[in-house]
Amino acid sequence: MPAVQDTIDRVRKIDVDQYKYGFQTEIAMDKAPKGLSEDIIRFISAKKDEPSWMLEWRLGAYRRWVTLDEPKWARVHYPKIDFQDLHYYAAPKSTPGPTSLSDVDPELLRVYEKLGIPLKEQEILAGVQKTDVSEFEEASDNVYKSGRVAVDAVFDSVSVVTTFKKELAQAGVIFCSISEAIREHPELVKKYLGSVVPTSDNFYATLNSAVFTDGSFVFVPKGVRCPMELSTYFRMNEKNTGQFERTLIIAEEGAYVSYLEGCTAPQRDENQLHAAVVELIALDDAEIKYSTVQNWYPGDAEGKGGIYNFVTKRGDCRGDRSKISWTQVETGSAITWKYPSCILRGDDSSGEFYSIAVSNGYQQVDSGTKMIHLGKNTSSRIISKGIAAGFSQNTYRGQVSAHRKATNARNFTNCDSLLIGDQCGAHTVPYMEAKNATAQFEHEATTSKISEDQKFYVMQRGIPEEEAIALIVNGFVKDVIQQLPMEFAVEAQKLIGISLEGSVG
Amino acid sequence: MNIHTIPQRTPAETALIDAFSDRLSLLPGDGKVMLKRDDAIEAIKSGLPTRRIESWHYTDLRRLLTSVPDFDPAAAPKAIAPVVEGSAVLPVLNGVSSAKLPDIEGIAVQRLSEKLTDGSIAPGLDPYGADDAIGALNTAFVADGYFVDIADGTELDKPIELQNLQSGGQTHVRLGVRVGAGAKAVIVERQTGEGAALVSSVSQLLLDEGADVTWLIVQEQPDTATHLAQFKAHLGKDSKLTLFVMNAGGKLVRQEIVVKTTGEGADFTLRGINLLAGDTHTDVTMVLDHTVPHTASTEVIRNVVTGRARGVFQGRINVHQYAQKTNAKMACNTLLLSDDGEFSTKPELEIFADDVVCGHGATVTEIDHDHLFYLMARGIDEKTARGFLVKAFVAEVIEELDDEAIVEALEARLDDWFVAHG
Repeated sequence: MPAVQDTIDRVRKIDVDQYKYGFQTEIAMDKAPKGLSEDIIRFISAKKDEPSWMLEWRLGAYRRWVTLDEPKWARVHYPKIDFQDLHYYAAPKSTPGPTSLSDVDPELLRVYEKLGIPLKEQEILAGVQKTDVSEFEEASDNVYKSGRVAVDAVFDSVSVVTTFKKELAQAGVIFCSISEAIREHPELVKKYLGSVVPTSDNFYATLNSAVFTDGSFVFVPKGVRCPMELSTYFRMNEKNTGQFERTLIIAEEGAYVSYLEGCTAPQRDENQLHAAVVELIALDDAEIKYSTVQNWYPGDAEGKGGIYNFVTKRGDCRGDRSKISWTQVETGSAITWKYPSCILRGDDSSGEFYSIAVSNGYQQVDSGTKMIHLGKNTSSRIISKGIAAGFSQNTYRGQVSAHRKATNARNFTNCDSLLIGDQCGAHTVPYMEAKNATAQFEHEATTSKISEDQKFYVMQRGIPEEEAIALIVNGFVKDVIQQLPMEFAVEAQKLIGISLEGSVG
Repeated sequence: MNIHTIPQRTPAETALIDAFSDRLSLLPGDGKVMLKRDDAIEAIKSGLPTRRIESWHYTDLRRLLTSVPDFDPAAAPKAIAPVVEGSAVLPVLNGVSSAKLPDIEGIAVQRLSEKLTDGSIAPGLDPYGADDAIGALNTAFVADGYFVDIADGTELDKPIELQNLQSGGQTHVRLGVRVGAGAKAVIVERQTGEGAALVSSVSQLLLDEGADVTWLIVQEQPDTATHLAQFKAHLGKDSKLTLFVMNAGGKLVRQEIVVKTTGEGADFTLRGINLLAGDTHTDVTMVLDHTVPHTASTEVIRNVVTGRARGVFQGRINVHQYAQKTNAKMACNTLLLSDDGEFSTKPELEIFADDVVCGHGATVTEIDHDHLFYLMARGIDEKTARGFLVKAFVAEVIEELDDEAIVEALEARLDDWFVAHG
């Protein structure tokens, strides 16, 4: 805060090294040789025991990828990535195919324990309550019991375990790793995979289509309200690997699902690549709520190391009255390049995007959303809050478009940026394209420091300065935090605290 | 999206390159100027900008510029009366500065051809970026225009009207104005004509300390003309610029506004109205750089889109790292009145200083039904009521200009447009 010299000093001293998930784990790994070629793709496909159509799909994507150039339009700078210098597959040796928790390497379990992620089904994520497995069995028909979260844990290239599968299956919900889905539910995967983000979509999505190794698959059948929060926890551990996960979520007519992903990685001096693709499909009256708490290793105080997070996320409101809501809290990664989008195809469908992007150190964030209005009476809402500190660059880039037939399309966009320190930058690049006279688009953006008046008002009531600033910052991001599932709102709030520690107290 | 391609030259690109070799012997300029012209035509040879160039995303010049008319030495545009009666008029007819240079105290007017011949304009011919296609086109071909120097402390009681009139053919004009310290002036830039002309026009304005200028751009090209224009200004310490832009014509129009605040206390106001009808493609692109502390800017753009028109507003405010205490506000409001009309807007903020207040707002909507109902409930028929509301929407921007003569003159231009386009 420019107003407070003390705070500026603190921001300068801010230490991205305080990343607390930076430990690495020694686990025997099974790796593909470095480099990318058709042989490597065949190797991955064979490792995953995939049917031939899947291999063909991957090879098609690969052949397209070699013709593409990296996108350069985002406001991020990094040295050229050598795509031949990566391992495209790395899996812990002991888990050929995760079946039950007891098969999982205890070392792996310890990793997740350290991260605070409960893989034992009796544990609850936020540490709210402990229940015996047997009690769960009894309570299984009480499907709306809250406070339980099913977790799919992905370690480098493979899913190590998925919890609560049995209980979810009783409700008809399929929640498993995507590799398992390709083997067990090929008809669903074939129908939906690539239908939102086609293999030809963009450089990183195409790369992902060729080499994706694991990820989560969720299928919520007609009329089912998913009995618990679903969650995937991504951990990148191995050196020189890229993580390419693929998530596919389908909510059939009238279904509802809330899904959360979290991610961390060890502290390393080299940059690591993470290029994921997430596809959401909501049919008539379905609702998907997708929340992300992204906390990849952001690099050290000098900007060395950290994850390159190049992610394609897109939801398709395919059915009438469907709804997709993206909520993201972005605090990690050296570079973030991510635009969770909604295609509002069905009539009366709606899309939402709530985002908090906090950047510090030398982080670069170029994130935002796309709302593509195609159906009639569609509506969308974008709330984006960017907080830039240190030497970071924080860009909101978003597009709202109404096509010719999208009568009565509505959009409200609000993106606010807060700057802490004078070495950082905050940028807003919204695109609005209206091709229909009945469209109503509103966009507002502001950039400012914390106003003296607000601070004075709070301090005048006896609250010390640093607390006052923290309070105002929390108020600034409240709109977004409110959208997170309760269990994660707490975590998100803590994360923001960590990222700004020393700058706002 | 990003597959390798090797573009082939379009007919328009070929025509421009050929025209350059034909015209070369006729173009004035000393060695420095001719070198700049060579650089400029090289830029055109590497291709006109496409939608892949970010600043041209919504105006794919390569695709939209389908043909380039030949230079027409016989074109004889008619002289027209100035917007504000009594103005000193400096017309450029078919690319030639034809006026007898006026004798007004405190004002020195030079023909641009002279400044090209002696090379004194050369530094101003540089493009402002790699994507400055209008600057390149103009630099390659510019042959004439005016350079007006308003001496320190001069206060003009009547406007100066710079007219660029063209009937068919091609013209490339440059208008330069320097306003001395403490001087005050109203300058009207008039862009109009007949026929399917290709017009490029670059205006350059330099404000010294404490200068106060109102600059009006009135663009009423025929719906067959291509109009590529650029307005560049540097605002010195405590200077004040009010820029008003009215676009009410043209087939393919791009008006670029490039403003830089270079002195503390500078104040920039932009008011724009874009009246879009027929098949026009009109693009207003602004790049505003706040480079020093304590400067302010406000921009309000109002657009009315009818017929099959396509409108674009791109506005980028760059606040440099040392430009603390910047106050910048931008708004772009659009009334989309027809099913086939389109409007795209991209209001950008790029901020590197922390102690600033910056904001932008953008809306696209149709006429408010409540407003319409209010008027119709008072016995006004729908067509008239709509007319009132649309006119009020844009007239609001004109009324902010505090000079009554100018407001009346501009409202008259507005009325003309409404009469012509219902």
